[in-house]
Amino acid sequence: MLDHGPVLAVGIPLMASFLCPLIGWWRKRACYAWAIISLFFCFLVSLHTLHSVIQGGTIRYRLGGWMPPFGIEYVVDHLNGMMLVVVSAISLLAVVYSGKSVEQELPDRRVYFFTVFLLQVTGFLGIVITGDLFNLYVFLEIASLAGYALIAVGEDGAPLATFRYIVMGTVGACFYLIGVGYIYVNTGSLNMEDVAGMLPNLYHSRVVVTAAAFLLAGLAVKMALFPVHTWLPDAYTKAPSASSMLIAPLMTKISLYVMIRILYSLFEPRFSVTVLPITEIMIWAGVVTILGGALMALAQVDFKRMLCYILIAEVGYVVGGVGLANDTAFKGAVLHILNDAVMTAGLFTIAGIVMFKTGSHRLSDFTGLFRKMPVTMAAFVVGALSVIGVPPTCGFFSKWYLVHGSIIAKHWTFLIVLLFSSLVSVILFFRVIEIGYGFGVSHGVHHGDGDERKIRFDEAPLGMLIPTIVVALALILIGLYNQTILSKIIDFTVPGL
Amino acid sequence: MKTTSFVLLVLVVAVLMYGTADIPKWGDPNAPASNHVSPYYLRHSIEDTATPNVVTSVLADYRGYDTLGETTVVFTAGMACLLLLKRVKSGGKDDV
Amino acid sequence: MFEYLVDYYNYWMFIGLMAIGFYAMMVKRNLVKKIIGMNIFQSAIVFFYISTSVKRGSVTVPILEHSAGHDAGHGIDIMHYANPLPHVLMLTAIVVMVATLGVAVAVTIMIYRRHGTLEEDEILASVRRR
Repeated sequence: MLDHGPVLAVGIPLMASFLCPLIGWWRKRACYAWAIISLFFCFLVSLHTLHSVIQGGTIRYRLGGWMPPFGIEYVVDHLNGMMLVVVSAISLLAVVYSGKSVEQELPDRRVYFFTVFLLQVTGFLGIVITGDLFNLYVFLEIASLAGYALIAVGEDGAPLATFRYIVMGTVGACFYLIGVGYIYVNTGSLNMEDVAGMLPNLYHSRVVVTAAAFLLAGLAVKMALFPVHTWLPDAYTKAPSASSMLIAPLMTKISLYVMIRILYSLFEPRFSVTVLPITEIMIWAGVVTILGGALMALAQVDFKRMLCYILIAEVGYVVGGVGLANDTAFKGAVLHILNDAVMTAGLFTIAGIVMFKTGSHRLSDFTGLFRKMPVTMAAFVVGALSVIGVPPTCGFFSKWYLVHGSIIAKHWTFLIVLLFSSLVSVILFFRVIEIGYGFGVSHGVHHGDGDERKIRFDEAPLGMLIPTIVVALALILIGLYNQTILSKIIDFTVPGL
Repeated sequence: MKTTSFVLLVLVVAVLMYGTADIPKWGDPNAPASNHVSPYYLRHSIEDTATPNVVTSVLADYRGYDTLGETTVVFTAGMACLLLLKRVKSGGKDDV
Repeated sequence: MFEYLVDYYNYWMFIGLMAIGFYAMMVKRNLVKKIIGMNIFQSAIVFFYISTSVKRGSVTVPILEHSAGHDAGHGIDIMHYANPLPHVLMLTAIVVMVATLGVAVAVTIMIYRRHGTLEEDEILASVRRR
C-alpha cells in the first residue's frame, strides 16, 4: 500500500476533509480529533516518501496508470520530499495547536473550520508534489480558496483584508495560468519534464520568454515579493491565530518552491542567466524586499504585524539566494526555506498564545509576560535567536551559506543587506524581550500590577504549549544536524550550474 | 493610485503584445499544440476508454485527477461559504 | 498588415478583454465592480485557451464517429477534429472561476453585514472608527 505514497500524502487529508462535515454532524467536538488523526497519518506517509527518495532516488507515480505526457504524473525528488515533510509536519503542529484557539475565537464554526483547514493542507501538499503544470494550478486554487476562508473569519478588519488578498491572489494565479497557456501553445504539452525537454530549442522564441515572465510574476504575487507584498501584513495579522499558524509559514515557502521548480527544472539554469536577466532582477528584488521588510518591521507597534514584515524579509533572503546563481547560495536558500518555515511557525505560535491569554497581539501586551509564562517565552527567545542568526539554531547556518554565497559571487550589496537585516532583527527582538520583562514600561501603575501578578504562574494550555516546545526543539535540532540534512537531501537538489 | 495602475496595465499589455509576436497563427493545423499530445487522445480514445467523445475521455480518464481537483475546488468553495456566512443564533443551544 | 490582424486577431481580443478586466480590478472603488472585473479577467484567459484549439479548414467537434474494434484508431483523420485538450483544461478553469466568484461574493456579504457599505474608502473609514 505504501507504494502509493505520493498519492496518499494528498489523498489522506482530502478524504478526511470530505468526511469531516459528516463527523461534525454526528458530534461537533470530534472534528478536532479527526483532523489530528488524519494529519498524523499524512505526516507518516510523507516521512516514508522522503525516506524512499533518499534511498532510491526520484520517485515517479503515474496517476491512473497513463503514461506521461498523456496522463498526470507525480514526481518526488529531494526538494519535493523535503517540502512534503515540512508541510505535513507544520500542518500537524498547527492542527494540534488550533484546538484551544478555535474554541476561544471561533466557537460556533468549529466543524467547517477544520474541514477547510484539511482542504488547505490538501492544496499545499498537492502543489508540492505534482509534476504537471495545470494540476499545479488546480491545487493552487484549492489552497487559495481555503486560505481566503480561513483568513476572513478573523478579527474586525479581516473581511476587507481578505477581499484585497482575493483580488491580488487571483491576479497572481491567473498570470500563472497565462504563462502555462503560452507554454502550451508553443510546446503542446503540460507535463513538466516533457516541456523541459522541448524548451531548450525554443529559448529564442518570444512566446517562451513571455511565458517565463508571466509565470514568475504570478508567483511573485503569491510569495509577497516587493512591490506586490501589500496583501500580506493585513491578511495575516487579522486572521485567527490557528489560521495564521498554518498559512503564514507555508504559503510563501510553497510559492518559493514552485519558483525554484520553474527556474531550474522547467527552464534550464542557463535560461535565467543568459537568455533573460532573471537572476539579476531576483537579487535586486531580494535586496529591496529585505530592506523594506526590515525597516517596516521596525515601525510596527503590533507584534503579529511585525512578524509579517519579518516574514516578507525572509522571502527576500531566499529570492536573493536563488538569484546569486552559485551552488553555496542555492544550498543556503533551500536550507533557508526549511528554516524559515519552522521559525515562522514558532513565532506565530507565540503570537497566538499571547492572543489567547490577553485578547490582543500588540507589543504592549507583552508586559510582564516573561515572568508569567516562562516556557513560552523561552521558546520565543529560541525563535528570536534563530531569526537573528545565532548558532546553534538553524537560522545561523542558512545565513552563513547565503553570506558565503554572496562573497563567492562578489555581490557586496546583498551581503551588506543580509548583515543589516540581522542587526535590525536584534533590535526588534530585544525590544520585545525588554517589554516582556517589564523594563520598557514607563507607567508607574503597571509596575505595581506586575509585581502582584508575578507570583501567579499562568502558562499557556497544553494543547498550545506542546507545538511551541516542539518547534523550539526543532529549531535547535535542525541547527545541530544541519550537515546531515545538507549532505543527505539538499546537496542533491542543486542543479548543475 | 490611478496613474500607477494605468502604468502597470500598459506594461502588462505591452509585454503580452511583445510576446504574441511569434505565436503560432490562429487555427494553424501544424501548430505544436495540435500535434504533440492531442493526436494520441484522438487516435486512442475509443481503444482505451470506449468513449467517442474525446473531451469526456480526457476529462474523466486521462486527466481524471484534474477533475477530482475541480470537484474539490467546488467543495472547498461550498465549505468556505458555510464557514464565512453561517449565522450564529444568539442564545441558541450550546454546541457539544 | 491586414493579414497580420486576421491571422492573430483572437490574441488581440484576449489582450483587450484582459486589459478591461485588469483595469476594473485595480481602479474601481466599489467591491462588486472589482469582482466583475475579476470575472472578465478570468474569462479572457478561458477565451485565449479555447481559441487555440481551433484548426482551419473543415473541422468539427472532437466527437469521433463511433467505430468498433481496435484498429479503428488508424482510420481517424486528426485534421478533421478540433483539439480537445484546451476544452478539458478550460472546463476545470471555468469551475475554478465560479468557485472564486462565490467565495469573493461571500466575503463581500460579510463586509456588507459589518460595515453597511460596499465602497472601499467608506469601509476603510468604518474600520478605523471601530
